[in-house]
Amino acid sequence: MAEVRPDEVSRILKKQLAGFESESEIYDVGTVLQVGDGIARVYGLSQVMASELVEFPHGIMGMVLNLEEDSVGCVLFGDGNLIKEGDEVRRTKRVASFPVGEKLLGRVVDPLGEPLDGKGPVQSEFFSPIERKALGVIQRQPVKEALQTGIVAVDAMIPIGRGQRELIIGDRQTGKTAVAIDAIINQKHTHTEEAKRLGINPVYCIYVAIGQKASTVAQVVGKLQELGAMEYTTVISAAASTPAPLQFIAPYAGSTMGEYFRDSGRHALVVYDDLSKQAVAYRELSLLLRRPPGREAYPGDVFYLHSRLLERASKLSDDLGGGSLTALPIIETQQGDVSAYIPTNVISITDGQIYLEPNLFNSGVRPAINVGISVSRVGGNAQIKAMRKVAGTLKLDLAQYRELEAFSKFGSDLDKATTRTLAKGARLVELLKQAQYAPIPIEKQVVSVYLGTNNYFENVPIASLKKFEKEFLEYAELRYPQIFESIRTEKVLTDPTLENIKKAFSEFSEKFNAA
Amino acid sequence: MGNFRVASRYAKSLFRLSEDKNIFNSVSESADLVFNTLKNSKELRAVLKNPIVKQDIKKELLKEIFSGKVSSEVDTFFNLIVEHNREDILFEIISRFIELKNEKLGIVNAVVKSAVDLNDEAKTRIQKELEDFTKKKVNITYKVDSSLIGGFIVLINDQVIDSSIKNQLKLLKKKLMSETILNN
Repeated sequence: MAEVRPDEVSRILKKQLAGFESESEIYDVGTVLQVGDGIARVYGLSQVMASELVEFPHGIMGMVLNLEEDSVGCVLFGDGNLIKEGDEVRRTKRVASFPVGEKLLGRVVDPLGEPLDGKGPVQSEFFSPIERKALGVIQRQPVKEALQTGIVAVDAMIPIGRGQRELIIGDRQTGKTAVAIDAIINQKHTHTEEAKRLGINPVYCIYVAIGQKASTVAQVVGKLQELGAMEYTTVISAAASTPAPLQFIAPYAGSTMGEYFRDSGRHALVVYDDLSKQAVAYRELSLLLRRPPGREAYPGDVFYLHSRLLERASKLSDDLGGGSLTALPIIETQQGDVSAYIPTNVISITDGQIYLEPNLFNSGVRPAINVGISVSRVGGNAQIKAMRKVAGTLKLDLAQYRELEAFSKFGSDLDKATTRTLAKGARLVELLKQAQYAPIPIEKQVVSVYLGTNNYFENVPIASLKKFEKEFLEYAELRYPQIFESIRTEKVLTDPTLENIKKAFSEFSEKFNAA
Repeated sequence: MGNFRVASRYAKSLFRLSEDKNIFNSVSESADLVFNTLKNSKELRAVLKNPIVKQDIKKELLKEIFSGKVSSEVDTFFNLIVEHNREDILFEIISRFIELKNEKLGIVNAVVKSAVDLNDEAKTRIQKELEDFTKKKVNITYKVDSSLIGGFIVLINDQVIDSSIKNQLKLLKKKLMSETILNN
């Protein structure tokens, strides 16, 4: 058995004690006047700053939210039952902050940066305040690079650019999280050597789970790990059982983490899942702090709550390194009611929305994106040329299809042109269906959409369309890899490529029909 | 929250009145007396706060306790407060007045807690150091608290100057723990 020499122990202790200076410490204190429901009112602390962290006994932290004449209102980030009236409260002279740095990639942490994954303490470069002012006009530039989500319906019709804020909205169980997770998974290709060669910069991802079941978060983390997406992702979790104040600050912590990448000239994607729960948490603590309630009992500054968060998403000017922070906030609606308070607020703040519908979901259109009312107000500039060209008529075709679909339900005789439009529309809808966790690379999307909008699938039965598409893409990749290579590198559909696609298609359809 | 504002308003009016009439010294002496009386008598504070006790009785009570001992202005002030139904916050008003007075005279109150009784030499040194530190006249109350183990703590308003062995041990524990975690 190994022996521990006493002189060695004392040597180590001596070394550790060497740096310890016994100086008198000066700090500010206050006294707890009242505590309850996760809120403490503290007398004293006259120098305290708004949103400063304060320390209660038992190591419980709190954040100052209300500064009043003779007392301050604090929210508690821990168990309020341990705190009594008359307890001492210490200032930390540090506003609420979050540890940032590469070391956080692959970790699951709470909104204060404490680890939740059992992988030991988080070693960060430094702490950055969770509430930071959004950048001004001069520091920004228009969104110009694409952020590929790997979902055909999104990348073709509702393109998202790096630095954009795109809302994902829909009822419960319509696949909102799935869209966001697919987007995170699809960023894996930006971390490859090939992406580097093509000049695509890596996108670091942050998934902020607010008020969700811990089991759901565990499932998401598990899936990300399985698909190798955790290497470039940080998960910030404030599950449903955590105190409301932590749920309230979680998105800001995520934004701070994203800003670290943005400010160092890199690209980040933050998913806030979801902001309706954050608004509910904020309502809870606002009411407990006795702030006056407004519409739906939300406090008056609930708009500012979300606008100051989403305004931090940005594309920096080249002088500042050209980094970007893309935000994908998620909002859950009740019974499709988008005119409720929080959905209307967030819709007006963001640069567009992806609208998911339960009807579509139940009829098997997955992802259940309603492309008629989903928009992207800035991403179009960021789309690659090839996609912009082929997807130009896609939205129109689908709109026509929906309009005629209503007529066709009467069962009356339809003329040939109408039947054709209906058939094409039905095939396009089929084409946009996609499995979860299976993002499609942009070059394959371009080819599929090209074939769809140019009605190549006219003679393929709808039931076997997906199979046809899949096998065609495999065939083309094998026989005509130059098609995809050209789209990937040149980002446009050149004439030789179009020729190749046509050739490959006619060859393949013969084989498919024969089989 | 509301009480604090009301108390400030009454205290300020008494303060200004005493300044205008040049009777600041006599009023502040009376205020000190009232403050100490209220501070030491829990019963009196309870009676004043009690809504069941009639106003006339409260008025009589205040008159009986303080008449002849406080200046006539303070006497009238009591009547005014009782008439305005604010006798329940009399203690807050007087405390606020004392705060204003101390601010005007440049006095701060400090509490020095030490593990053992301090000798006079130490006390004068602490007094001098604190007056240099705050740039004000310091009114010190000394207390003995053996749980500090050694050293002393000074409390000035919200600020704490902590030179106790207890706190140092706490800091040492924190430091050793954080270093152990980092080294592993």
